[in-house]
Parts: sequence; structure tokens; C-alpha cells
Amino acid sequence: MIMITGGAYQGKTEFVRSRFLCSITDGEACDLDSVFSAECIGNYHLLVKRLLARGDDPIAFTERLCRENPDLIVIMNEIGGGIVPIEKEDRIWREQVGRAGCIIADISDTVVRICCGIPTVIKGEML
Amino acid sequence: MMTVITGGSKCGKSSYAEKILDNFHGGKLYAATMLPYGEEALAAIERHRKIRAGKGFETVEKYRNIEEIIIPEGYSVLLECMANLCANEMFRDGSMTDPAEKILKGIEVLKAKAAHLVIVTNNVGCDGITYENGTMEYIKILGKINSGLAEMADNVIECVYGVPVLLKGKLL
Repeated sequence: MIMITGGAYQGKTEFVRSRFLCSITDGEACDLDSVFSAECIGNYHLLVKRLLARGDDPIAFTERLCRENPDLIVIMNEIGGGIVPIEKEDRIWREQVGRAGCIIADISDTVVRICCGIPTVIKGEML
Repeated sequence: MMTVITGGSKCGKSSYAEKILDNFHGGKLYAATMLPYGEEALAAIERHRKIRAGKGFETVEKYRNIEEIIIPEGYSVLLECMANLCANEMFRDGSMTDPAEKILKGIEVLKAKAAHLVIVTNNVGCDGITYENGTMEYIKILGKINSGLAEMADNVIECVYGVPVLLKGKLL
């Protein structure tokens, strides 16, 4: 697994397009089953939000994804910084994204963080 | 030695901080600063307790006045979390004070006594939202404290989804 993270609009998707020949499945809108056979999933933090809205457990989903699609490239924003959100559902979302992200980063051979379009490899080696 | 672990919420800071002290064979003190009020705080405290179980930490709860923590000879200390401590010192009895200097002095006291002082803090200033005055003041003061901590620390590490990113010193 490869994880691409960083703040919003920092060039994560462009980085993947420039490095990998893969189609990117959008976590915000895709069929949930398609994630298990996708080459790359974008907006994984928003997929977590969709799962929560359906009453699904994003952690169980993420663990299954790591088992069943270990060659996946995951793009997900860093959303944990800043003040604790006022709305309870935002707090839960932030927490679940954090935990899911830790699982994905842990299993990933390579984790790249993009800032201002500049990639920094924070785990493993650039492929 | 002093190490600061920073990062966003639920990004693996605690686990990493505990792992740093895995190789420390002396006594270990866990200084908990979160006030045990409210359902979510209690759940967080319980979750952290479970994660820490069996790792040899003695827990001391100290919501303010950290300089009073008694550290036995040769112990290491994991203080978690500066964001809570700052809020607890800052907002009391309906009034607001700037506790940065007091907290940094307290940390100096702990640093002098502890074999290894590990502090978990939080990046609260990066969501770009303008909040009301009290919250903006809190962001400013915690930023000031974090900068002061980083200056005193031997190592500063940011956690990104559990991945340690070195900001100062060395990875442990």
C-alpha cells in the first residue's frame, strides 16, 4: 500500500497522476464495493464520512481494505489539526479519520506528504 | 533528555510517545492533564488507560500546577497533553489568564528532575478558522508554549497518521 497525505489542495492528486499510471476512484462519490478492487482511492477522509453517515464502522472497513486490496494507493487529507470541532459528528469524523489514517500508514510501505506541491517521503522510499 | 511530540488530533501521538519510553528500564510516570468531565473525556481517558496497560506506567493526575508533580529518582515522565494543561490553567472560574510563562517554568522543573521528559502537545493553530476571542487567545498561547517547549527540547517530532516526522534532534 502507498499513502499520499497532506493538507487540502496541496497537489496530492496531481502527484499521483504524475507518478503512477492508475485510475483514481473518488472516495466521495464511488460505489463502496469498488474500493476493494480500486488501484487508487482519492478523498479517503470523505469516504470515512460517508461510512459514518451510513452507520458503518470506518475502522473495520479500513482493516478489511488493507487485507483485501494491499496494493492500493490511498489519498487522504490531513484533517486532525486545529481546534476540536463544536459539532459532535465532526469530532467523531476527525477521530475516525485519524485512526483509519494510522492503520493505513502503518501498513503502507511508503507514505508521502505533499505540501505546496512538494512531496516529502515520511516513511519508506519513493517508488 | 526532553522530547516533544506534536501533531493533530488522533494522529498516533500518544502511542508514539509511549513507544519512546518502551526502551526505558527505570520507573515511568504518566502525568495526565485531562479533566475527567464529560462522556467524551471519560471515553478518551479509558481508551488511553487501556493502551497504556501493561507498559509499566504509574499514573498521576495533575490538571494544573505541574511543577508540584513529585518525580521519584531516576523516573521518566510522559506528560499528556499540553493542550489540556494550557486550557486548564488559562480558563478558571470564569476568568482568563496567560499561563505560558508559568507552564514553561513548570516544565523546566520537571525536565531537571526526570531522566527523560516526554511531552505530548497539539497543533491547534492550523485550521485557518477565526474563532471568538477566547479561542484565538488559546491558539496564540498554546503556540507560544509549543515554541518554548521546542526550544528547551532535545528532540521534537511531529506525528502524521502515526508516522514520525523529525523537526529537531533525532528520532527515538
